[in-house]
Amino acid sequence: MTARTVLLLLLPLLIASGCSSDEGEPPPGDPEVGQAAIREYGCGSCHVIPGIGGADGRTGPSLERIAKRVYLAGVLPNTPDDMVRWIREPEAVDPRTAMPNMGVSESDARDITAYLYTLK
Amino acid sequence: MKNQNRQDSVRKIRKRIEIHVGIAIAALVVAMGVGAAGFVYWGAYNVSALQQHTEPVFTVLNMALDRSIRQRAEEVETPRLTAEMAEQGRPIFQRKCVQCHGAPGVGRDDVGKGMTPVPPNLAHTAKAKSAAEVFWSVKHGIKMTGMPSWQFKFTDEQIWNVTAFVMRLPELSPAEYQAMVAEEHVEEGADRNDVSAPAQARRAATPDAERGKMAMYGYACIACHRIPGTVGPHSDVGPPLAGIGGRRYIAGVLANTPENMVHWLRHPTEVDPLTAMPDLGVTEQDALDMAAYLETLE
Repeated sequence: MTARTVLLLLLPLLIASGCSSDEGEPPPGDPEVGQAAIREYGCGSCHVIPGIGGADGRTGPSLERIAKRVYLAGVLPNTPDDMVRWIREPEAVDPRTAMPNMGVSESDARDITAYLYTLK
Repeated sequence: MKNQNRQDSVRKIRKRIEIHVGIAIAALVVAMGVGAAGFVYWGAYNVSALQQHTEPVFTVLNMALDRSIRQRAEEVETPRLTAEMAEQGRPIFQRKCVQCHGAPGVGRDDVGKGMTPVPPNLAHTAKAKSAAEVFWSVKHGIKMTGMPSWQFKFTDEQIWNVTAFVMRLPELSPAEYQAMVAEEHVEEGADRNDVSAPAQARRAATPDAERGKMAMYGYACIACHRIPGTVGPHSDVGPPLAGIGGRRYIAGVLANTPENMVHWLRHPTEVDPLTAMPDLGVTEQDALDMAAYLETLE
């Protein structure tokens, strides 16, 4: 039984008991692939990222609980679409940002976003 | 021999009673603990502002409040409160106090209604409390009441001026108050912060990290950031500030130097026009102290 099936089985229970999980649908993308992509792009050299070995950079902010953060980069409302946009083209979101454009592909950005949204 | 026996049995009975009482007390303590935990966990307590405390709870809370303020006000040295001071305190009173407390013949604004505890009528406060107690309450604020601390907004001198005006309230008829207010019209559209004096009076020789930490509460920084060393709502509106002292960039755009941090804290929108971090009217001294505290967060 995969984790997803377990979740699906539990879902009616959660709803019935009135315990809403506060997120809606998880963002499209594969969190596991995203986790590998984060290692590949070296995000951890600038950010602390839980679950990524050696990700202890102190150039940018820590990404602990990034799924709960209200704003991205202090300027964008934190939605999956905005997260993808920010990861792909940070300079388009905030021209003054120190975050570089790493040439992340759309699908990589989706997967990375899926992983980041597991950080609650 | 008989006597000996009787003494022994009396001792035995007493011991048995003691054990039973001990068990009963222990059971009671556990039951109370479980009950209290359940009361909290299942949300039995109604936090609605319109569900007043029961009379005994209200009395105990009020006594705790009164005693706490009186105790701390004892260390406050009260200057002579002059009419001139009251006159200077009046505009501050009009802009910062009336919306919650009202004034002679003037109702409070909406924010001051439906609040629990209800913000007291200050003419009554002035009769019941000493000037030192009023000063202390304005300067430090009162937890869980809605009364803010004003010490990051006003100097002690300004707070004494407001206190001087508050202490005069019982002598003012509504008509007299109206006449006073009419003299100097407070424009509603005007910047409500313009009564704040420049911070020179508070300038310290070296930045004070401890005071900076207090400013994290005074400017409500904890409403948006997790800040090590503070207790708060643990909110993730902005990034957590753990390790900010060792961070290379501020807001992802400025090199993290003390000068830049002060600039950012005071005028975030100048640094990054797109930022959600608002300009909070932080004075230079307060920003220096705050930066000093943030620097300690390695």
